[in-house]
Amino acid sequence: MRLLLVGLSHRTASLELRERFAVDDAEPLLSKLRAGGEVDEAFLLSTCNRIEVLVVTRQLEAARHRLRSLFARELGGDAGAGSDLDAALYERTDARALQHLFRVASSLDSMVVGEPQILGQVKEAYRVAADAGAIGVILGRLFHRAFATAKRVRNETAVAERPVSVARVAVDMAQQIFESLEGKRALLLGAGDMGEVALQALRAQGLHEVDVANRTPERARELAARFEARAHGFDALPELLAVADVVLTSVGGGRPVLAATLVESAMRERGHRPMFVIDIGVPRNVDPAVNEIDGVYLYDLDDLDAVASANAAGRRREVELAEAIVLEEQQRFDGWMSALRAVPTIRHLRSRGEAIRESELERFARRLELSDGQREGVEALTRAIVNKLLHAPVSFLRNEVEREEGLAYLEAARVLFGLDDADAPGAESPLESDADASEEE
Amino acid sequence: MIALLQLAAALYLAAAVASAAGVGLGAGGAVRAGLVVLAAGWLAHAASFVALHGVEPTPQLTDLPMAVSLMAWMVVLAYLPFARRSRMAGLAMGVGPVAFLGAFYAALRIPHAASDELMGAGSWPHAHVVLASGGLALLAVAAIAGAAFLLENRRLKRKSLHPARGGPGLPSLETLDRVNAAALAVGFPLLTLGVLTGMLWVYGTGRGLWTGSAHEIWNALAWGIYAVLVVLRFAASQGARQSALSAVAGFAFLLFAAVGVGMLA
Repeated sequence: MRLLLVGLSHRTASLELRERFAVDDAEPLLSKLRAGGEVDEAFLLSTCNRIEVLVVTRQLEAARHRLRSLFARELGGDAGAGSDLDAALYERTDARALQHLFRVASSLDSMVVGEPQILGQVKEAYRVAADAGAIGVILGRLFHRAFATAKRVRNETAVAERPVSVARVAVDMAQQIFESLEGKRALLLGAGDMGEVALQALRAQGLHEVDVANRTPERARELAARFEARAHGFDALPELLAVADVVLTSVGGGRPVLAATLVESAMRERGHRPMFVIDIGVPRNVDPAVNEIDGVYLYDLDDLDAVASANAAGRRREVELAEAIVLEEQQRFDGWMSALRAVPTIRHLRSRGEAIRESELERFARRLELSDGQREGVEALTRAIVNKLLHAPVSFLRNEVEREEGLAYLEAARVLFGLDDADAPGAESPLESDADASEEE
Repeated sequence: MIALLQLAAALYLAAAVASAAGVGLGAGGAVRAGLVVLAAGWLAHAASFVALHGVEPTPQLTDLPMAVSLMAWMVVLAYLPFARRSRMAGLAMGVGPVAFLGAFYAALRIPHAASDELMGAGSWPHAHVVLASGGLALLAVAAIAGAAFLLENRRLKRKSLHPARGGPGLPSLETLDRVNAAALAVGFPLLTLGVLTGMLWVYGTGRGLWTGSAHEIWNALAWGIYAVLVVLRFAASQGARQSALSAVAGFAFLLFAAVGVGMLA
């Protein structure tokens, strides 16, 4: 049994290309994939950042061809085939495929490393695949380990807890000042892009009351419409500051827009409730002395960037820890997969031993004319001999197969015991053996 | 009996260490463990009251070590119900040491404590100790929240990173300020009732409402200071940093007035 993963992601494909291959309903595709016979188990993940298909197969080349044709013809439609797709598609097999899955589930392969949504998306895709009957013993166990790995990464590292973008740092700082952003009021000064990005991040955390003020009233109205906010001119600043909990400034021009005296009087007006001022303007829009006022926390672009950089450095250390966890879990699962590979050979070896025992016993039983009781005794004796003879090689194969040279030992066992000789007693077809192996697991 | 108090003190100290390490290193597990140990300490502390009740001669609640022990127990009691909310678990690093000091002092002093000479004035002595200890406990919680506010405020103003950002950390400034306000709002009336029942206790012994003892003078002063703080906080819209400073300074004075003066006497 082999694992094969084919897909494209934000690392290899543009958003436009990813959009073309996005899958709304994976269930019929999975059923169709399995019906073709090239794959035994299948899973399809389609998010805005990746479209990947993972399969368990006994016919690697046929499955590879099938998955590439799935992308070229069925997912991409008419626009599917072409050099863009060829360049964007990647393949992973066996250990690398499961390492990839573990990294994806643990959010180590995400555009924003550590983002929590991907695990939910993988779980949902797994549920869809299971409903489609496309999950068997191997993928079932594989995803069980992938979810456990993601949980370990989340619990044992801080990879998800250090915001690295300026907008996320602003949200994080706001959460250190305010108990919750719900019910808080924001004031956006100016129309810079960074200010909008930061405001969107704050809104995602529940900050919905927004006022927008700009030198140009038309631009203020335009922004206000986008954020369902109220538009104002700069002349309303004293009143707006008195009610704003978070102030975002992103104004062009050389002179500070917020002077310390203006903020000081606003603080008196608002009963000294805390105010978080985020100055994203270049040059700065807020007088640095504002940070000296009690209850006002002023962070400019450099401050936020310094926090983001420090977090990024910390996150790199956490990513290394997370990668070590993924590797550990991958090796554990790989061991299980290898052990699974030994099962057909071991079964084959046992059935060969049993077949020889039965045929020899049959031959001698006729000649010796054994009574029923005697036959039972001889049966037990010969079975014990066969079991004892096979015990050492079977135990050896079980133990060694997880190591690198394990496959060579399996091969040697097949040659030494003539397991691939189709005419020998107890011979099995490889397909039967693999099927048995999955059932035995 | 004393062993239970010693056990409680040890658990409080362990809780403080675990919680401080958890907050400092960003280890949520250590902070949660600190909470569990603090709760265990509180149970051991409660058991020590039951056990001490059966000892002859029974230590009286009006003995200073017992009153301090009760106050420490109440500090934990006031904190535990809110400990799991809004990153409040980290505050165990402040609650633990206060509870430890109270339990440790009681464990040292209870064997030598003498019954108060004013005993025998009905239920006023017990009402006084319970109410005053409750007030002190809540004002201690206000002071702990205030101290945490000052630390976090300084860090955010200086724009220095949390040493283990992303970990459990301390509550937000707004949460700490709310804890401070709530504890003050309940603690001050309890303290006032404690002072009134204390006066009634003295009155019941036939000495009038005011004897002019050092304990009475210092506590009247402390009550007056707190009355001013309450007015500043709730009527004059004092800023959060000033409120935090007031809570810490006010509690330090109150602790000296209620406990320190008794120890020095």
